[in-house]
Amino acid sequence: MSSRLCAVIVSRGLDEMLRFCLKCFFESAEQVSGSVEAVVVDNASLRPYLATSFPDSRVRLLRFDASTGFAAACNQAVRDCEAEHLLFLNNDVFLDRSTLVRMLQHGTVEGVGVTGSWLYFPDGRVQHCGVVFGDGEIGPYHLHRGQFMEPRSQFETFQAVTGACLMVSRALFNRIGGFDESYSFGLEDIDLCLRVRQAGQRVICVDAGRPMHFESFTPGRIELDVSSRRLFMERWRDKYTIDG
Amino acid sequence: MGNDMLQMTVIIHTRDSEATLPRLLESVRWAEECIVVDMESRDRTLEIARHYGATLLSTPIVPRIDGIRNDFLECGHHEWVFVLDSDEYLAADAEQIVRGLLERYGETSDAFCIPRYNMIAGQIIRSRSWYPDHQIRLFRKGCVRWSDSTHKLSELQTAQERLHKLEPPGCLHIHHENYTSIQQFIDRQVRYALNDIYPEEGFSFQQYVAWAYEEFDFRLDEKNDGELSFALATLMAWDRVVRGLIHWERLGRKDSLRRAYSLPITTISRYPEGVFPGDVEELRRQAEDLHQRLQFLESVPGVKLLARLTKSVRREHRKTKDRLKRMRQYFRGKSATG
Repeated sequence: MSSRLCAVIVSRGLDEMLRFCLKCFFESAEQVSGSVEAVVVDNASLRPYLATSFPDSRVRLLRFDASTGFAAACNQAVRDCEAEHLLFLNNDVFLDRSTLVRMLQHGTVEGVGVTGSWLYFPDGRVQHCGVVFGDGEIGPYHLHRGQFMEPRSQFETFQAVTGACLMVSRALFNRIGGFDESYSFGLEDIDLCLRVRQAGQRVICVDAGRPMHFESFTPGRIELDVSSRRLFMERWRDKYTIDG
Repeated sequence: MGNDMLQMTVIIHTRDSEATLPRLLESVRWAEECIVVDMESRDRTLEIARHYGATLLSTPIVPRIDGIRNDFLECGHHEWVFVLDSDEYLAADAEQIVRGLLERYGETSDAFCIPRYNMIAGQIIRSRSWYPDHQIRLFRKGCVRWSDSTHKLSELQTAQERLHKLEPPGCLHIHHENYTSIQQFIDRQVRYALNDIYPEEGFSFQQYVAWAYEEFDFRLDEKNDGELSFALATLMAWDRVVRGLIHWERLGRKDSLRRAYSLPITTISRYPEGVFPGDVEELRRQAEDLHQRLQFLESVPGVKLLARLTKSVRREHRKTKDRLKRMRQYFRGKSATG
C-alpha cells in the first residue's frame, strides 16, 4: 500500500545533521494519520551514507556517485516513489512536532497545489515565511528574512515558497513535469511554484509550529546559485507579480 | 530487452549470495546482458538471478575465484564487459556515468580503472590503504586478464596508455560491502590464506615478519577510521605472519623461524624508511616547495633572522632532496631487477 507522505531529502555529508533532520521528521509524522516514508538522496557524499546509519526501515537510500543538481536528484527520487504527497526537505531543517499535521491540514484543501512552512533561524528570527518578488534585478526573495516576527494567520497565499520544506501532491508534481533540471542549484523551487500557479493551483505558506532552518550549510551553493538566478530571470522576468 | 539499454555485459560470480545479489542486480538493470556465474549455491541465489532475467552459468567450486574469471570473460555478446562481485553494487547514477565514459573515452581506452569504497564492519574505510582501491573492472572484451590468486588486481593486456583511471571525488565508484564484522573478516582472511598458492622457492620467514610490520604501518590510519583502523591494521599484519607459517609448513618446515625475531626488521623491508612508492611524488612536491621557499628567503636582503631561517630551510631542503634521490634510486633499481 502506498504511503500518505514521503520526504525527499537531498544531502551531502553532514551525517549527524541528516540523522537529526530525519528524527524530527518522523517525530512530526507521529501526529499524522497514515504511513510516512523518507528517501535520502546521497548526493556524492565523500563518505557514502550506509543503510545502517539510518536504522529506521522507512528510510530508503539513493546514492549518486557524481554530484547531481537538486532538481535532477529530487526528480529521480520521486520516480520510485508512490506516496500520495511529497515533502521536499533540506537536511538542515528540523521540523516541529506539529509541522506536518498543519501542512497537511491546509495543504490538502481543494485548489492548494504547494504548501510551504514558516521556518526560523536557531535564534528565533524568521528564515522563511513566503517568497515575494521585487522589481527589476531584485527578483524573488524571502519576506521578513532575519526579522523577529510572529505569524498573524494560519496560512497566507504567496506566489512561491522555499523548497527547503515544500509539500506537493505527487500527482500534481508529475503533471507539471517535476523540478526543471536546467537549474544547477537554487530557484528550481520558485520555478516549480510559478508553474503550479500557471496550472491553476495556489501556493500557501503555513504557520506550522516552530521548525528550524540553519540554511545553506552545503559548500559551493553560492556559486551555483548565481547561474541558477541568471536562468530564472531569463525565463520568468516580467511574468510574475511584483509584490515585494 | 529494450533497445535503450546499454549494450554491455555484466558478469557476476556468486556463491550463496542471496543476501547481497538483489541489490547488485537492481543496480545494473540498465545493462543489456547480465551473466551470473554460480559456484554451487545452496541458497536462493539462482532463483534471484532468474527473477532479474540474468543468464545463468555454473562452475564447480574453486578455492580461488580469480583463477576462473578468465574462463567466462568471453561469454557475453557485447564489446564492453563490467565484472562485479556479488557483494558489490553500483550507485543510482551509474548508468548515466558509464554511458558518458564509453561515449567520451570508448575509442581511446580499452579499460577503466574504477575506485572502490570498502565497507568493513559497518564502516566505510577511508585510509589510503583501503581507498581509492582502484579496480580494472570495466573493459573491452579480450583486453583484461586475471591471475590465479585471491584478490589480485586484473591486468590490462594491451597498453598502459589505453587504461583510463577515474579519479575521485565525483566519479563512478564500485561500492563493496566486504565484511559485516571483524569475525567475518578473520574467517575470510584465513580462508584466503589457506587457499592461496605459495612459491616453491625463495621462502624467508623474516620477510613475512617484515611485511607484517609494513602492513601495520601502511594500514593504520586512526584519523580517518578511528579504532577500527587499529583492529584492521593488526589483522592485516597478523595475516602476513599466518601466511608465512602456512608457506613454511607447505615447504616441509625446513627453515628456522627463530631468525626472524633477531633482526632489525626495517633492514629487510621492501620499502626502506617506511616510504611507499606512492609517497615519492609527495616527497618531490615537498622538495619543490622547500626550493621555492629558499629562493624567496634568499631574495630578501641581509637580515640576520632571515639568514638563520634560510640556513634551516636550506638544510631541510638538502635532506629532502637526498632522501628523494635515495628513494628514486631504490625504486629504479627495483624496477630494473623486477
